[in-house]
Amino acid sequence: MYSNIVLSRQWARLACVCRYMSTIEGQKLPQAARSSDGISPPPRIARSPTDILQALAATVGTDPSAAHYKYHDDPYLIPQSNYRKRSYALSAEAGRKAAAWIRDEHAELFTMREWDPPMKMKTPYFNADPQIEAFAPKPIYNDESKVTEEDLRYTIQNALLEDAIKVFELLGGVDNLNDELKLSLLQLLCFYNEKEPVSLEWLEERWFSAATRERQSTTWKLGGLADKIFTAMEPKTSEAYSAIIQGMAKYYQAERAHVLAQEAREQGIPLSTTVYNSLLGCVGFLKEGVTLRVEALKSILNEMNEQGLSPNSETLSACLRSISSWGSGKALQTVALQVVAECRQLGIAPSLSAYYYLLCLFCKEQGPRIDILTNIIADLENRESIEATQATDTNFFITAMGVCSDHLQDVNLAERVHALLMKGDNYKLVGDAYKESIYYRHLVTVTCKYAPFEKTTQLLDTLVPNIYVPEPSVMEEIIRTLEVGGAGDRLADAWSQLVVFGHAKRTKLVEKLLSALCNCYTYQDDEVKAKIRQAAADILKFGQLMEEREENEDRRSPTQKLSASALSNIVELCSDTQDKLDPNWSTVENAVQRLRDEQAAGVPARPQILADLAQKAATVGKPELAALAVTYLAECGFEEATAASVQTLGVMLNRPVEEVETLLQEQKASLATSLHPSALAVAQAYHIAKTGAPLHESESSSASSESDSESSSDDE
Amino acid sequence: MNSIIKYAQCSSLSQWSPVFASQFHTSSALSRVVSGKYRITKKRDRPLTYEMANPPHFIAHRKSWNSWNTSSLKDGLRRSETAVEDEFIRRFLNGTWHGLVCSEVIIKRQFNHIRVAAIVRRAVSPTKMYFLIGYTEELLSNWIQCPVTLELQTVDSYKDVVFKYI
Repeated sequence: MYSNIVLSRQWARLACVCRYMSTIEGQKLPQAARSSDGISPPPRIARSPTDILQALAATVGTDPSAAHYKYHDDPYLIPQSNYRKRSYALSAEAGRKAAAWIRDEHAELFTMREWDPPMKMKTPYFNADPQIEAFAPKPIYNDESKVTEEDLRYTIQNALLEDAIKVFELLGGVDNLNDELKLSLLQLLCFYNEKEPVSLEWLEERWFSAATRERQSTTWKLGGLADKIFTAMEPKTSEAYSAIIQGMAKYYQAERAHVLAQEAREQGIPLSTTVYNSLLGCVGFLKEGVTLRVEALKSILNEMNEQGLSPNSETLSACLRSISSWGSGKALQTVALQVVAECRQLGIAPSLSAYYYLLCLFCKEQGPRIDILTNIIADLENRESIEATQATDTNFFITAMGVCSDHLQDVNLAERVHALLMKGDNYKLVGDAYKESIYYRHLVTVTCKYAPFEKTTQLLDTLVPNIYVPEPSVMEEIIRTLEVGGAGDRLADAWSQLVVFGHAKRTKLVEKLLSALCNCYTYQDDEVKAKIRQAAADILKFGQLMEEREENEDRRSPTQKLSASALSNIVELCSDTQDKLDPNWSTVENAVQRLRDEQAAGVPARPQILADLAQKAATVGKPELAALAVTYLAECGFEEATAASVQTLGVMLNRPVEEVETLLQEQKASLATSLHPSALAVAQAYHIAKTGAPLHESESSSASSESDSESSSDDE
Repeated sequence: MNSIIKYAQCSSLSQWSPVFASQFHTSSALSRVVSGKYRITKKRDRPLTYEMANPPHFIAHRKSWNSWNTSSLKDGLRRSETAVEDEFIRRFLNGTWHGLVCSEVIIKRQFNHIRVAAIVRRAVSPTKMYFLIGYTEELLSNWIQCPVTLELQTVDSYKDVVFKYI
């Protein structure tokens, strides 16, 4: 029985192998020839292990209404502002780093390899599968470790630069290495300039850190380990020269690079196209002046020709990089076009980097408007796919969008650029977080300025807030667009957006928003009007909250307070009601009180608002508020104060304007006793506005009369 | 029948390997009446989550498993390892997210990927939570040596997950 089963199992395996062989055979069969039954299956296409996954992923677009998948899908954990996006992603990575630190610090606790069989028995034991090298225990090199050349090979292959140097020293330096290892170590050192690169593992750090601009200064370590290894190498091969020259050129040690190239040439050592490309990229550091530089560039190209090397697309972008960094002007532009034309003849299509440098050269901010972008985009649209070949390729889209927005001011072209970026998996070319946000800043700005209103709102709805959070300057642009479009509803929402995005403390922005709200208030629906009033009241409340918090925490830099105009805008919005019990009246009172207490900068731009308020408040039955407004007007010395106080008093006393005027003129003395305190305050305001001095009564008597007649009715 | 399976599995492995075939488990549950259930308190103030409120015989009816894997199926792999690892993950999570986890920790295994789900309180800032997420995922995946993903939901307070008081 037992042997039976074994036999059948082996039979099955044999059959399986046979089937497998036959399928392989079958896949090879059909080429051009037709089989006998007339069916010819297509030839086999070689696939990589992840091809199916990529095909599946291609069917699912990104969902702009969801946060990026690196954030947790929970309302509490979804970031809403740029600051939060950054800090959340980096926090998660900081956690990873902490874990990695523990792993490295206590490496003796992390020596397990789950996929190894227990007790290292050589059995077909099914264990954790697949093996993941990233989780395998990592070797640690210190002064005591016993190392072999195998270790050096491992460290070089995994780009562990510091470990490689350590192992190199432990092995006894240059003399005890074979040539092959020496060369690969030299290549590693030259590529990274002896600086440990940020590990590929830390995605977020790389994504958020590139905001620091690459400085074009000589950073090559002269007399460093790379130089030492290079001098010790004997004989110096072509690869060694290539490595050291490219390293020097990459880190702007241009003179030495060219000297070494010259040396290699004299010794008859052939150099590759890539070496010449790197030499072309730094040729400008040798000479001063455009003509000399162009000559040097051309001489290198000629030299390449003599050596029988044909240029490639990197040659083109290296040339253009040099040319574009030498400034601008007709002469350089012609040279650039010549180079491009010559490369076209050789069948070299410009890469994204080449186009980027062309844009830099032609589309200067102050220069004349030159539209080369349309042709570039047309060319790129015709390409099947855009491959990233150089690091500078990621600069193209941000520059192109910048040109659309600032240089050409063409919204249609901007849309084409955006469509190109969204095509296929071109989005990988957006670069990093910094570039992405600048790209969207340009896109949103140009759309706000030049696109029809519906299109703008549609774009904003897709982008904000998950893909892009507008910066204050862009927000200003958006508010302006919404104001012109008369979208009161969206403007009211803009306030909550400001709060969420963390811009609510920017007084200038809030003031802009308030005046926009005021300007399009009159022609909105009642519902929207209520919403706008709510938003205005909220703005004031938020400001007070911030002030309180500031006082409690004793911050160094106090936030700016809303200006008087902004406060009067709030007053205008919130006082638009006929109902005495409307809660917004308290906001109005608050705002006017703040004006009166001189807690706001400047004076209202439109004092008429306060004059209207006084009358409205008197009508509704809030004489204290009316008095406050009129007094403020009078104290600030506005012309409107006189008329406003007369009218307000007229409403309070329910008498025609002329009668009030005569009353105010004649019976100065008797007013104090006969009038309600609020009305008296209005009268005072009238006199301040008229003569610049209050009535003759002292402060105390009016104060006492106020407290006496607190409960009396409004009208006399 | 059992012995056939045993022999079959034995023969497919090499001769010196331990026997990994497991038998049918036929013993009755230990302390069936009280295990996995909570006693009612005098004051009726013991808070229970939904998971706690349902006794074990409701598994697959009213509530589901806390560990999802295929190791206990026929020919399942890594039985004991899976159980120990799950317990390790639970303890690690409860210790790392100290006083924050307010539900059972659910561990789901798919291929070589482990997804760990839990409900946590919003007692710390989101930034700290993200730190803990990154820390937990990285350390656990280094320990268990396969990708580990945390799938958290947050609630305002522990009271939000209380289903009833007994």
